[in-house]
Amino acid sequence: MPRVLLVEDDPSVREGVELGLRRRGHEVRVAATGEAGLAALAEFRPDLMLLDLMLPGMNGVQVCRRVRERSQLPIIMLTARGDDFDVVIGLEAGADDYIVKPARTEVIEARICAVLRRIDNTGQGRTAVEVYGELAIDRAALSVTKSGRHLALAPSELKLLLHLSAAPEQVFSRQQLLEHVWEHSFHADARLVDACVARLRGKIEDEAGSPRYIQTLRGFGYRFGPL
Amino acid sequence: MCRRAGAVAVASGVLLLGGCGIQETDVIEAGGPASVQAFVDRDYDMLLFFHSRDGGISPVVRSTGSTFEYGPEGGPVDGQDPTGADAVPVPTEKVVLALLSGPDEQDRAAGLSTSLPPAPRAATLRVEVPPGGEEVMADLPIALDGLGRTALRQLICTIAYSHGADGRATVRLTGRDGVSASGTCGLDPASGQRS
Amino acid sequence: MTSGPGPARRLLRGLSGAGGRRRGTDDGTPDDGGAPGDAPAGRARARAFGLRTRLVFAFLLVAAVSAGTTSALTYREARNALLKTAQDTAVSSFRDQVQQTGWTLPVRGEGLEEVLRDIARKGKPRPWVVFAEYGSVRASSGENPVSTVITPELRRAARAHPSGSFERVVKDGVPYLTIAMPTVLRTGPEGVLPSGLVLYAVMRMTDEQVNVDALLVAARDGALPGLVIALIPGLIAARSVLRPVRELRQAAQSMGSGRLDTRITVRGSDELADLARTFNDSAGKLERSVRELREAEARARRFASDVSHELRTPLTGMLAVTEVLDEDAGRLDPDTARAVRLVSTETGKLAVLVEDLMEISRFDARAAELNTDEVDVAETIRKTLQNRHWTDGRVRTELPSGIRARLDPRRFDIVIANLVGNALRHGGAPVTVSLRGEARSSGPPVLIAQVTDSGPGIRPDVLPHIFDRFYKADAARTRSAGSGLGLAITQENVRLHGGTVRAGNLPGGGAVFTVEIPLRPEEAGG
Repeated sequence: MPRVLLVEDDPSVREGVELGLRRRGHEVRVAATGEAGLAALAEFRPDLMLLDLMLPGMNGVQVCRRVRERSQLPIIMLTARGDDFDVVIGLEAGADDYIVKPARTEVIEARICAVLRRIDNTGQGRTAVEVYGELAIDRAALSVTKSGRHLALAPSELKLLLHLSAAPEQVFSRQQLLEHVWEHSFHADARLVDACVARLRGKIEDEAGSPRYIQTLRGFGYRFGPL
Repeated sequence: MCRRAGAVAVASGVLLLGGCGIQETDVIEAGGPASVQAFVDRDYDMLLFFHSRDGGISPVVRSTGSTFEYGPEGGPVDGQDPTGADAVPVPTEKVVLALLSGPDEQDRAAGLSTSLPPAPRAATLRVEVPPGGEEVMADLPIALDGLGRTALRQLICTIAYSHGADGRATVRLTGRDGVSASGTCGLDPASGQRS
Repeated sequence: MTSGPGPARRLLRGLSGAGGRRRGTDDGTPDDGGAPGDAPAGRARARAFGLRTRLVFAFLLVAAVSAGTTSALTYREARNALLKTAQDTAVSSFRDQVQQTGWTLPVRGEGLEEVLRDIARKGKPRPWVVFAEYGSVRASSGENPVSTVITPELRRAARAHPSGSFERVVKDGVPYLTIAMPTVLRTGPEGVLPSGLVLYAVMRMTDEQVNVDALLVAARDGALPGLVIALIPGLIAARSVLRPVRELRQAAQSMGSGRLDTRITVRGSDELADLARTFNDSAGKLERSVRELREAEARARRFASDVSHELRTPLTGMLAVTEVLDEDAGRLDPDTARAVRLVSTETGKLAVLVEDLMEISRFDARAAELNTDEVDVAETIRKTLQNRHWTDGRVRTELPSGIRARLDPRRFDIVIANLVGNALRHGGAPVTVSLRGEARSSGPPVLIAQVTDSGPGIRPDVLPHIFDRFYKADAARTRSAGSGLGLAITQENVRLHGGTVRAGNLPGGGAVFTVEIPLRPEEAGG
């Protein structure tokens, strides 16, 4: 069962979510502040971080950035609808997904599993390293290199790239990507996709302004290539 | 407001255009008549009154300078003229006889005629002026009965103007038939009467 | 209503499309087409007789009347003086000429014409034609012995009164001056005697006419520039009156468009300044009361928003543990188990309610954002039904593919889900969801989504309130599965897309909700 680090300042939410997840068999460590959460990373070495956006002191977005500086730990933000602006910033800072509070434990767990599952399941059935231009994608090792240099991709970024490159030149709508990559509903927030594409482009494209690998088709969605 | 303004505009337009050009006028009196000199010499000329076709009576001037000026029927009858042919001014009797002798050729040519009957050949005529001078009495050699108004006026005016230059004297006529009539001439506009 | 259940259902399905279309044209066309068409025409008519026109017109009128009157009076005076001079000259010189001529009585016809020609030659200011009448003698200096111009009235006057007289006659457009001059005989120092001779002089007044015409032209040429010049002060005066009026209008417009701090600079102390002051006072009061209202409203909204925010945090904790309660309820004694399950269920409902409240308060605060994406509408609706597991026979669909629109998928999902959920709860299965695109004569084409149920329909007294918040159609059913905000949120979401949602009843019974959303909301400004 995955180890979950929950960073949440409100005691009732913290306790409720911890209780719910623990009942479902997760190993949960809680932290009341961002600083405490960061401190617990090295010692607890979680599989996933549940991060509240609104934290006293260091806020969720800063924590998220700090984590991404060193690792590609899956991060799910806990947010309230209406804090839309923060969601976008959090996603840009590198969060892989977000959950709107209040949420039932089953929803939280489903999201956790979805984020973790796509890491586990990608690459099955393919072994060879695929090369697209300067980009080399190793589906088995779940690693991507550009001009021989290893790229550190967050789980959602990696999954998105793998999904798009599995069918080069095929157009995927945002809704399709939400369903397949994030396992969200069809009607979920497409900004999740846009933010992730922006982050991915920043890492794999030569110029993020004129992308080669991940191209936009206005009104339809995204596709990989053609190069 | 527009309706009122329109009315005002129309009114001013009428005012402006209504007086344009030269309009006809009614008959307007302008000063007195033209007084003409007809060479009337009271000493030698007679004023006889005949009537024109429109019914009015008009004076004609007849000179007594020579006897041939008298028409055959209007000639003077010597001896019956109490004052004589050369009397100055022309005696009224002679003037009346000239009137009774009717218009001459020139008068007729001008469309004048008389309403008086011609005088008998041996006509006697007497004119008296009672004291006071405002009245002239004339015994005429013709019958007055049956004479029209125009004829009487011819007689009265002729006698009045013969008697005085202003012709304002009242004239009393007595006919051969004893009928008498009187009146003033009234042709002078200054006398206040209109013919 | 009148037919049986079987035919009614068939009728219902057949009518759903036609009924909606008819409703669409009834509601849309006359209201949208009529109002904007009338307004500019009315304004143009008002402008044709607007203040400016009226002021300038009044000025021109005053100028025209004064210039015209002055010109006319001057002209009349000048003309009359001109004519009088000519007439007086003519009459007196004619009298002189007649008096200076020697006459014999009776007047002789022969040689008379020569005499008359002599008089005519000496005519002043211009030669005359002289006629003489005496008895039956008729003579003239001209060709005809009798004039055709001299009127019987003049003749009668000359015969009746021994005094000179004249008459202006216009014959065939030519003005003539006709003078009658009766002659009298001076018989003594005082006595005069009408001689029976009447002389007439006839003079064409062509020169006078030319002069009078010149006067008229002068008067007109004087008046017209006066009018044109009067236009300038007229326009200036109109401007000076209209500027404050225009400022007032702009200020009123500015206030109408929401800038309540609009004020007018008050100049002078005339009526317009009073009006401006009154306007400023009223604007001040209005601004104050609107501000108070807004503050009160904002406070109320903030309160609702704050309350829901505050409720949300404890709810999050509670909701996370409801499953724990549910799982362990079985092991508790029955009463405790019932209580625990009740708490669990109501916590879930409370969470929905709080979420809906927050959504509504976001709409009220205009903080709701539209995250549009171009989507296949039919697919979007199908996914909505799938996610809610409404894929069994209860919901039928008529979803033609190929209709793409820019929508916020999450909000559109809520719209369809709320409508279908409402239809299933309050109406009756089967519920039909239909979709079509429709071109509009004005504006962009619209997508029309209709949700029709097979229930009894909506009562007429309920219909106007169906989208109200917390409005319960059935007083007895005070608490249903919904929060009571579902249709209100639906309406707000549709509005956010620039569209409309209407509720109605089918002729055969059954409620129908019609959503219309412009297919290109970004072009319509949404």
